[in-house]
Amino acid sequence: MASITLPQLIEVPGTPGTLKLVQRERLMIGAHIITAMLALMSGIFMGPFQAFHRSPTFIQYFPTIPVFTYYYQAVTVHGVMNALFFTTFFIIGFCYFVVERSLQRPIKSVLVGWAAYALMTIGLVIMLITILGAPQQSAVLYTFYPPNIAPALFYIGLVLLVVGSWLASANIFLTYRDWKREHPNERVPLAVFAILVNFIVWCVATIGVAVEVLFMLLPASLGILKTTDPQLARTLFWFFGHPLVYFWLLPAYVSWYTMLPRQAGGRLFSEPLARVAFLMFLVFSVPVGLHHQFSDPGVSASSKGIHTLLTLIVSVPSFMTAFNVGAALESAARNRGAKTLFDWPFKQKWGDPVVAAQLAGMLLFIAGGFSGLINASAQLNATIHNTSWVPAHFHQTLGGGVTLTYIAILYWLLPAIRGRALFSKPLALAQVFTWLIGMTLFGLAMGEAGLQGAPRRAITGQAPYLSPAAAFWLDMTAVSGVILMISSVLLYVNFFGTLFLSRQPAPAGEVPIETVSSDRTSPLWLERWGIWLGALGVLLLIAYGPVFAEVLDFQEGWNILRYMPTSNAPMP
Amino acid sequence: MEINKFERYWLIAVGLTLGAFIAATIVAVTVFGIRLPSPVERVNPQRLDQTIFASPGVRKIADNRYEAVIVAKSWAFNAGPEAGSPPVLRFPRRSQVTFYVTSQDVMHGFQIEGHTINLELVPGQVARATVNFNRPGEYNIICNHYCGAGHHVMYGTIIVE
Repeated sequence: MASITLPQLIEVPGTPGTLKLVQRERLMIGAHIITAMLALMSGIFMGPFQAFHRSPTFIQYFPTIPVFTYYYQAVTVHGVMNALFFTTFFIIGFCYFVVERSLQRPIKSVLVGWAAYALMTIGLVIMLITILGAPQQSAVLYTFYPPNIAPALFYIGLVLLVVGSWLASANIFLTYRDWKREHPNERVPLAVFAILVNFIVWCVATIGVAVEVLFMLLPASLGILKTTDPQLARTLFWFFGHPLVYFWLLPAYVSWYTMLPRQAGGRLFSEPLARVAFLMFLVFSVPVGLHHQFSDPGVSASSKGIHTLLTLIVSVPSFMTAFNVGAALESAARNRGAKTLFDWPFKQKWGDPVVAAQLAGMLLFIAGGFSGLINASAQLNATIHNTSWVPAHFHQTLGGGVTLTYIAILYWLLPAIRGRALFSKPLALAQVFTWLIGMTLFGLAMGEAGLQGAPRRAITGQAPYLSPAAAFWLDMTAVSGVILMISSVLLYVNFFGTLFLSRQPAPAGEVPIETVSSDRTSPLWLERWGIWLGALGVLLLIAYGPVFAEVLDFQEGWNILRYMPTSNAPMP
Repeated sequence: MEINKFERYWLIAVGLTLGAFIAATIVAVTVFGIRLPSPVERVNPQRLDQTIFASPGVRKIADNRYEAVIVAKSWAFNAGPEAGSPPVLRFPRRSQVTFYVTSQDVMHGFQIEGHTINLELVPGQVARATVNFNRPGEYNIICNHYCGAGHHVMYGTIIVE
């Protein structure tokens, strides 16, 4: 990383005064993005081999997984690196960049920024070493439910990631506070508004997992606690686990709302409603975790009902986004000569990888949104809970909509940081479309297999209970794995090519960030964060108060010390 | 704040869609009787011998009504000696069965193919669900929660005659 030379600054056409970003901050953003891509690389290439293990046909030809000795060890790496480390590093790097460009000031503290980066990177290294070093014991997957307990270093890696992300959050909040003091009567640009929402959601959500890890799992792993309560742990995890997905999603929405309209050649339909949508995410994305626990025996059906309702409400801002961003894309197509009712989706810049990646991501995300509504419908969940339908869903959302949008961001941000043009646009386009095809097939095949009873997270290729229909769809899953493997190779050829081989200078004017809000109609009280945090607090009390009272079961003392001895399942 | 006419129509359509989902959820509970699991009882997984799980198996409690007590342990379901391992449970057509299931060690899952029963088996908690078996056939019971190296061979079979 140190060998990468950075240009002093990049001209930002159309902005009043060129932003003077000092070199060391650009290096910091670059470090986050590059580390994110390395984390993704260590997780993504395990995916296809997992798909081969799930297929009764392919497992005969690919009986082993490279590097790893234990199937669930590879599943753990895939989940932890892709879903936790890649996302967090990428989001923080991208958000620093947007905040600095948008507010035209450096982030509050470069020192704290590097400290946060160092903590998270140490966490990443510790995590990889732990998973590699303890194949069975650390195979607790990225949900790490007790009573399976991983080595203490696994949790320490997680703690370092989360503490680092808190420092990064504080850095962003304080940068905004400084800006607000200088601009008391201005609306903060929409992108920063959304980023603030995102990090508020993150800070609230991580309280759940921090309590779980610090007071239950880490002490259990160190032998201080002899027992644990899996039901309480699951409830704390999902307090964190669902808002986590919005932490992934909102930066993609930042791109769709504030960058894509310009990249596609149109303008956003309604900025005030975009702000309302983001505030709805702030208020409604945390008190919904029980929709991951519909099948849990220790949580009452009435609480699950409340969370069902709230989950349906949190789909509203996504529907609003579909309209708003859809209208922006329509305006872009009209500018490009679209005339009829239905020709505008085709008159998009499908030949521009940055636009095409986001459009492809949206197509997958629409499928993911609807499969998500099915998951959220309490009774329908009984047919698909813990089946391969669930990974189908979150590969459409996280693996599709979110990741393709991050890739779109990478395709302009990496050249901007590196000061060199993207290595190859045709390769980037090929990557986008193979990803779209691969993930579409993956979603279809895993979803169908799930409906035929195939469980998630299992070596279904060797399962004795597989029906012929499930077996067929799992073979199709493996085919999608081949396509996605090709797409991933293309992605990394372009990534390393841009870093080391590209000789063309970065094209000017490709940084799509607004520095002054063009919004003149949003009420200023939308930025009164206290109101929204208060609303979130009240909702949390209603939605989670009874749940924790029930799970903790005070009548019999603090049950955190009850029940299960902690151990991983033994190997045969 | 002004809301565009088309956006208003869109929001109404979204409201109606979600209303339909909520209505369907309520109908599923009231008309079809599909209930989500709710707390039954806590047990100490290391002292199951002092609970109903001391002797797993199927008991007939009335005409066409059964109770099945099952213990999940890595990596098999124990439904009593009669059922064997992996267990095979037989019920006549149109029987109603209430399952009581718990885990003795780590997290397990309990799903019966083609039926609306899908339970997380959380150590320390008793999971209960009632199922109507109306269609003759063979249905697998599948452990659908990761529980270790033998997870993918943890199953049972239900035969509806």
